[in-house]
Amino acid sequence: MSARLAGLLLLTLAALGGSLLVGGTWLSPASVVSALLHPRADEVATIVWQLRLPRVVIGAIVGASLGIAGALLQGMLRNPLVDPFLTGVSAGAAVAIVAGMAIGVSSAAVPALGFCSGTATAIVVAALARRGAGLDPTRLILAGVSISSLCSSIIALILTHLQSSDAAPSIVGWLAGSLSGRGWNELAFCAPYLCAGVLLAAAAVPALNALRLGDVRAASSGLDVARAQWIILGSTSLLTACSVTLAGTVGFVGLIVPHVARRAAGSNARYALPASALLGAAVTVAADAACRSIAAPTEIPLGVLLAFAGVPAFLYLYLRGSRPVTA
Amino acid sequence: MIAARELRLMAGSKMLLDDVTLYVPAGEFTAVLGPNGAGKTTLLRTLAGIRSAESGVVEIDGVNVRAMHAARRARAVAYVASDEIFLEQLTVRDVVSTGRYAHHRWWDWREEPRDRDAVDGALAAVGMQGFSERAFATLSSGERQRIWIALALAQESRFVLLDEPTSHLDVRIAQEILAVLRSQVHAGKGVVCVLHDINEAAEFADRIAVLGRGALLAQGNTQDVLSGAALEDAYGVSMERTRSSRGRLRVFPASNSSEPTPR
Repeated sequence: MSARLAGLLLLTLAALGGSLLVGGTWLSPASVVSALLHPRADEVATIVWQLRLPRVVIGAIVGASLGIAGALLQGMLRNPLVDPFLTGVSAGAAVAIVAGMAIGVSSAAVPALGFCSGTATAIVVAALARRGAGLDPTRLILAGVSISSLCSSIIALILTHLQSSDAAPSIVGWLAGSLSGRGWNELAFCAPYLCAGVLLAAAAVPALNALRLGDVRAASSGLDVARAQWIILGSTSLLTACSVTLAGTVGFVGLIVPHVARRAAGSNARYALPASALLGAAVTVAADAACRSIAAPTEIPLGVLLAFAGVPAFLYLYLRGSRPVTA
Repeated sequence: MIAARELRLMAGSKMLLDDVTLYVPAGEFTAVLGPNGAGKTTLLRTLAGIRSAESGVVEIDGVNVRAMHAARRARAVAYVASDEIFLEQLTVRDVVSTGRYAHHRWWDWREEPRDRDAVDGALAAVGMQGFSERAFATLSSGERQRIWIALALAQESRFVLLDEPTSHLDVRIAQEILAVLRSQVHAGKGVVCVLHDINEAAEFADRIAVLGRGALLAQGNTQDVLSGAALEDAYGVSMERTRSSRGRLRVFPASNSSEPTPR
């Protein structure tokens, strides 16, 4: 299993390295390595350090966060069709950001606005899904879908009134998911929450393994099911809120990547979570590189490209005759 | 000893059992009998501390089971559920290793030599030592039941509570499963087993508890309970009793039992 994780690590590093080479301008590996080792004030160093490196790092973090969040939520709910946006985080963040953009809020305030609104929405969904000390999986799904639908309607209403506004294109771009223009400041804002989310996810590994057998068997094995559910939901919400804050609504990574990761590394969360993180990072970074390169200098939205690639991948998992691996 | 006192158990607004006082000694095999819907599963989960009673208390060696921390409770009592579950891509070892959760801090994912020994020992106890790396989904019903029991044994709890472990199994496999449980009783564990086959209880149990009509109708040693009227009272049918060649009591529904026994 360690060999498979090592293989995924190599794949991720290859995606990160390759992504520094491609874009509007093709850079040779030697020039990128030189720019990384000797930051100078030339054009290549500027492209690498100021444009591509922050974007590649943020892309990897967004992909890893969504991969982990998807694996956590699919494992907790024992439902392979769940994705991290079920918690309502992305819809909640989107409403606040779209509303903020519409009324002309400073772009510097957008990350904080999205993060706060996303986590607040996750808290509302969790409150609606609460049963006793823990969470009811069915209520969580229903509450998440309902709140997300409500938020989508509000966004549609805002966009309807903004059709002729200058803000409309940037709002649509954000909704479609993009790493364009993201930098270290946004990452610094999210860093503490990302760390907290990853630590909670790591602590949830034994619980996630117990929950694979169902709540009753997990409880019989000594798991405090309610505490485990809150830890997993907390981790999922933090990681998803950070990814939405950094890159908008990047779909399909949180849904597809955990399936492929489980096929590669097995269902044991000890291996499935790192595999989901590595694969999520590799897929997102590679997709972003394609977004920058395919129609350069125009960029294809990341979420759009991932959907174009993700839908066939998702259908393939079903149509090849075997179901996605149970979470 | 598990001591349940004056339990009232409900399913929603429906009363399942009232005023149940039941004692389960360690080192004995207790069978729980009763018709469908009598509250056997609910009682078992309450004894295991997985659900709370509407009133009354369950104590394990004098400690309220609901006041125990989840891990401490799991080291005292293991519960084997009856429902089937689809587990793709999990190996037998993955499943049985879950029984070691209660022996670690909740965030600790390291597997130690004592965990491997406990899992290997549990698999050997149920005769599945060669199946460690097999995919759980490829096992037969009888093999899966053995693995669930192995999971409970890997927990190293003092009591094991099983909900219908022989349902849907053929006669030979059912006898083997019950023999495994019997061997655990000899090793000092207290075993409580919900059974539908009265004669399996007659063959393997030291004690029997009979549930029916919303109450615990009888509890005591196997021969006494099977000889009494509790079974007719619980199931609402007449019973015929015979002795096997080894002198064991055997109980069967009487052939003219299409008419329910008046209560």
